[in-house]
Amino acid sequence: MSTLLRTVPYVWRNLVRRPLRTGLTVAGIAVATFLFSFVESMRDGVRRATEAGASETTLVVYRQNRFCPFASQLPQSYASTIARIPGVRSAVPIKIVVNNCRASLDVVTFRGVPEEGFIEGKMRTVRMVEGSLDAWKSRGDAALVGAALAERRRLRPGDRFTAAGVSTWIAGIFESPDVQDRNVAYVHLPFLQESAQRGGTGGIVTQFNVEVEDHASLEPVAAAIDAAFASDQFPTTTRPESAFVARAARDVLAIVGFASVVGWASLAAVFALIANAIALAVRDRVRDHAILQTLGFTGGTLAWTVMLEATMLGLSGGAIGAAGAYGVLRAAGINFTMEGVSIEVTSGTAVAVAAIGIAALLGAVAGAAPAWGAARREIVQGLRAG
Amino acid sequence: MAAIECRALRKDYRRGDEVIHTLMDVDLSIDAGGFVALMGPSGSGKTTLLNLLAGIDRPTAGSIAVDGTEITRLGRGALAAWRSGTVGYVFQLYNLVPVLTAYENVELPLLLHPLTRAERHRRVSEALELVGLAARHSHLPRQLSGGQEQRVAIARAIVTRPRLLLADEPTGDLDRESAAQVMDLLARLNRELGQTIVMVTHDPATALRALRTVHLEKGSIVDATVRAEAAP
Ligand SMILES: Nc1ncnc2c1ncn2[C@@H]1O[C@H](COP(=O)(O)OP(=O)(O)OP(=O)(O)O)[C@@H](O)[C@H]1O
Ligand SMILES: [Mg+2]
Repeated sequence: MSTLLRTVPYVWRNLVRRPLRTGLTVAGIAVATFLFSFVESMRDGVRRATEAGASETTLVVYRQNRFCPFASQLPQSYASTIARIPGVRSAVPIKIVVNNCRASLDVVTFRGVPEEGFIEGKMRTVRMVEGSLDAWKSRGDAALVGAALAERRRLRPGDRFTAAGVSTWIAGIFESPDVQDRNVAYVHLPFLQESAQRGGTGGIVTQFNVEVEDHASLEPVAAAIDAAFASDQFPTTTRPESAFVARAARDVLAIVGFASVVGWASLAAVFALIANAIALAVRDRVRDHAILQTLGFTGGTLAWTVMLEATMLGLSGGAIGAAGAYGVLRAAGINFTMEGVSIEVTSGTAVAVAAIGIAALLGAVAGAAPAWGAARREIVQGLRAG
Repeated sequence: MAAIECRALRKDYRRGDEVIHTLMDVDLSIDAGGFVALMGPSGSGKTTLLNLLAGIDRPTAGSIAVDGTEITRLGRGALAAWRSGTVGYVFQLYNLVPVLTAYENVELPLLLHPLTRAERHRRVSEALELVGLAARHSHLPRQLSGGQEQRVAIARAIVTRPRLLLADEPTGDLDRESAAQVMDLLARLNRELGQTIVMVTHDPATALRALRTVHLEKGSIVDATVRAEAAP
């Protein structure tokens, strides 16, 4: 064991004293790991937004067969009908106005909400970063802006902000654990109804966000809501929020699914780069290895040095690439928004750690065959090869 | 007690269907503290014999006992451990690991021994001092002359204080002056530290520096000369 530790500096010198070869290999591994981390972060963001957690208790009631906030129109009066359905804790009518219905990286989504229900419900789960809830209550055209949107549009409390024909006054900026919140501006429902439809279609909303009592009642409540309006003039389709997002984001999901091929290809590139570098290194060092064995190094110790070198390459390239992806995503904060819902691609430590671990592991695997070859080679043949 | 005792040593190589008899029934005894020059024409089996004595190659038949240890019966791992504790080997060319400094090259065999850093440092410095290259400890092999490289190789071969020092044409690639320095060093190691040395050489004058010359021809010992005293 201690012999293996004492050989670590030898392995290290082999790497750092061939700076060009090591540098090129590590750079290649870093680029591939960067790509892998980036794709994995995207998949991670999609997974978080669209996969139902066991704790999910939110339903979205939408107009049947309508897929854009412009087209989904429901009477606000449905709220009281929904609230009476057993298992429903609260139903908040929401008017959504977006400046772009297609998939885009810079969509502004206004959600019009009634003051009551919203403040006790949603606003309890968020943290105000700037401004205040009181300021929001005090003005009819006030908006509470999610942190991601505020950062993207550089909004500060007191600013006027106009998008999609809606002109608001920023009352506060908040941070929320819910991705959907971080990219929207919450405004007063009557105000949004008014600005959106100056022609007097007040009382029309886009959707209802319904909180149910527990996860198990999601499906039965959804069925009960749709049944209640089935024969109405405005039939509904009710889905868990995650499923709603997944439907809206289906294009992005398809792209991300395709991108996962890029992720796997990147890992293959990491493997190929290390395997190639180590195979060349071992071939160059046949003579060195024969000398080491003459000095008394065992085949096992030689194999260890080769495996360690391969692992170090994977580890260092992986660390640089994963850290790069982490930093870029942290700085850029990418959000895909479509049909009024958002998917956030963030830098996660879990993805970074996994990427580094996988790169190191691929290094060890790529080094295994050359290590075995180095361990089995006859000394005398190695000496003649020099 | 004989330091080395070879009996009926044979080494065959196979090349396709052809069998090459490189060593044939070699009997050789070398006393502890002996200094033997191995001579003979090219292809006579000198390197092969030296490799067998070093435990880096295995005979086809016969026995090799070094200080009573029958090394032909040792397994791979045991043989490696035996080499690490018993043998120092100097090749004719390319002895040193190119990415390591003189100091680091000499330190290599000590990595296999349970020594502290400080102990390793002391031993490496001593060995480099002994070969007169203490000032070159941080030079890479390509920054050293051929003679200096050979002396670093000798320092590495003796740093573990092995009982047996083997050298395959250690001066074969050196100019006269460097060769003389290396030979002085080997003679001193033999005389002052009592190191048993077996050295292959083509040069009769170099062979005279040893106490005994053994001639190999076509894989057999044809002649042996023993001198009371080595040439200066
Ligand atoms: N691995 C091997 N495979 C096949 N033949 C070999 C092998 N090693 C040595 N031989 C043969 O054995 C014979 C003796 O080789 P060896 O290297 O011992 O000679 P040598 O006396 O050291 O010669 P030189 O003075 O040229 O170094 C040669 O004919 C050589 O071709
Ligand atoms: Mg030879």
